[in-house]
Amino acid sequence: MAEGDRSPGSLLGIGVIGGLIGIYLANYLNMVTGTAWFSFIAALGAILAVFWGADAVRRVASYGLGTGVPSIGLLSIGAGQIAVLLGLAIGKFAGLELADPIIALILAAIVGIVNGVMARRVIKMNIAIMERSMTEIAMAASIILLGFSTAIAGSFAFDQIMAYVVASGFIIMVFIVGGMAMLHPFNACLGPDERQKRTLNLALSTGFLAMLVSGIAAGAINGVPAAVPTLIVAIVGWIIYYMRFWADTKQDAAAMLSTGLIPKEEEVMT
Amino acid sequence: MMFDILLLVYIVLGGIFIGAGVHFIPVGGAPAAMSQATGVGTGTTMLAAASGLTGLIGAGSAYAVSGGDFAYTIVLGGVSAALMISILAFIANVMYVYGAGVPLSSAKIKYDPITKWRQDLYVSRGTEGHGTPMVSFISGIIGALIAGIGGALVFFALAETYNKIGGFAATFQSYPAPYYIALAAAFSIGIFFLNCVMASYNIGGTIEGFHDPKFRRIPKSVAASFVVSLVGGLFALLILPMLTGGF
Repeated sequence: MAEGDRSPGSLLGIGVIGGLIGIYLANYLNMVTGTAWFSFIAALGAILAVFWGADAVRRVASYGLGTGVPSIGLLSIGAGQIAVLLGLAIGKFAGLELADPIIALILAAIVGIVNGVMARRVIKMNIAIMERSMTEIAMAASIILLGFSTAIAGSFAFDQIMAYVVASGFIIMVFIVGGMAMLHPFNACLGPDERQKRTLNLALSTGFLAMLVSGIAAGAINGVPAAVPTLIVAIVGWIIYYMRFWADTKQDAAAMLSTGLIPKEEEVMT
Repeated sequence: MMFDILLLVYIVLGGIFIGAGVHFIPVGGAPAAMSQATGVGTGTTMLAAASGLTGLIGAGSAYAVSGGDFAYTIVLGGVSAALMISILAFIANVMYVYGAGVPLSSAKIKYDPITKWRQDLYVSRGTEGHGTPMVSFISGIIGALIAGIGGALVFFALAETYNKIGGFAATFQSYPAPYYIALAAAFSIGIFFLNCVMASYNIGGTIEGFHDPKFRRIPKSVAASFVVSLVGGLFALLILPMLTGGF
């Protein structure tokens, strides 16, 4: 089910490595230059994680969750939120703020595995890739949250994130917008004619929309240097990828796919 | 500074309440949105987010206003969530009756156990009921009350923990809410979603209320909620030793 040109492994690589590079680069360029001009790079890292997370959602949700696609996205972003906040605190405690994103990623994997095992073994959902998918989506969610939070606060140190993202309330916005960016693509594209390329182009487009929102929040915290590059990159990126998604939609709509005959009444009732 | 074990018990109990509460709420899902099944026409995630976040706002403001009173926080959290779900179900019913033109009925039972009204005659052929009839409505209010109390328990435990952290009584600029309330809210939302989505997987997306046969699956949800909120709660409480310099 849910095959595509890009393999799950390569997307995992793009998400983890790209996401971490984005977050680290933004943090250190901001620190070295003493400005907030480079915050937008963290949001770009988060978009790569959206790219990965959307494909993981696509793989698991194509089995049919029974509760709608948003459920797994919001479950995982909840797991990611717990992991990120504890990860940052552990980094502060150990004096290793350098390792914050990696600690958060590992903790997210732990919460994700627990959720996956519970869903498959206790709740008895009949989805073979549940554990793996839950883990991947929770890890992607932690990079998304940390990426957009870093874009807003300008740094991933606990104190900055606590003051500028959590206490200011932007964390809830990042939570919902980041979750939507990851769950919306497959929710919008699902069906017999779903194609990986189209879904992932939509994922990049929703990722840039989330970046747009975090750019506005960044403006409230760090002013013009944080907001202007973020908003410009977000708007340009959104236009490019939304046009690509639109082109893919038109291309796919021309094809016809037989879905079989209308099911008999007794089949409908079951 | 080590966290209080009693507060971990509150969080686990709160998580179980959230998971159990979801089983009472009439979730109709996509079929109900087309008035082809009983319940409010949206998924569990949306219903839980709506009532859970309202409950959290209620609990948070009660906690802040009362200066951390346990009973006030818990009751207001539950009542806020119940209020939200009843408004939601009522407005949806108005739309089903006057918009879609369907009578409120359930296909799972012959007589409504509360009003004793006949149900099966009013169910359109090929559907599983429409709207939110009385039994589902009452069930939804009970469920939201339980889930809201659960959410408020989680929030209360976390707020009580984080207000011991030095410097967390500060506020962001001129905001009235201190840091510890914001952090407790952020963690509560995470734990809330973990539990309510687990419960919604357990009911397979749709349920009518306590009269639905799927309601008997509740023990599995309690087991899953126990483990999930134990891990989530432990993660949330470990913040305290991390920020106060060790165990």
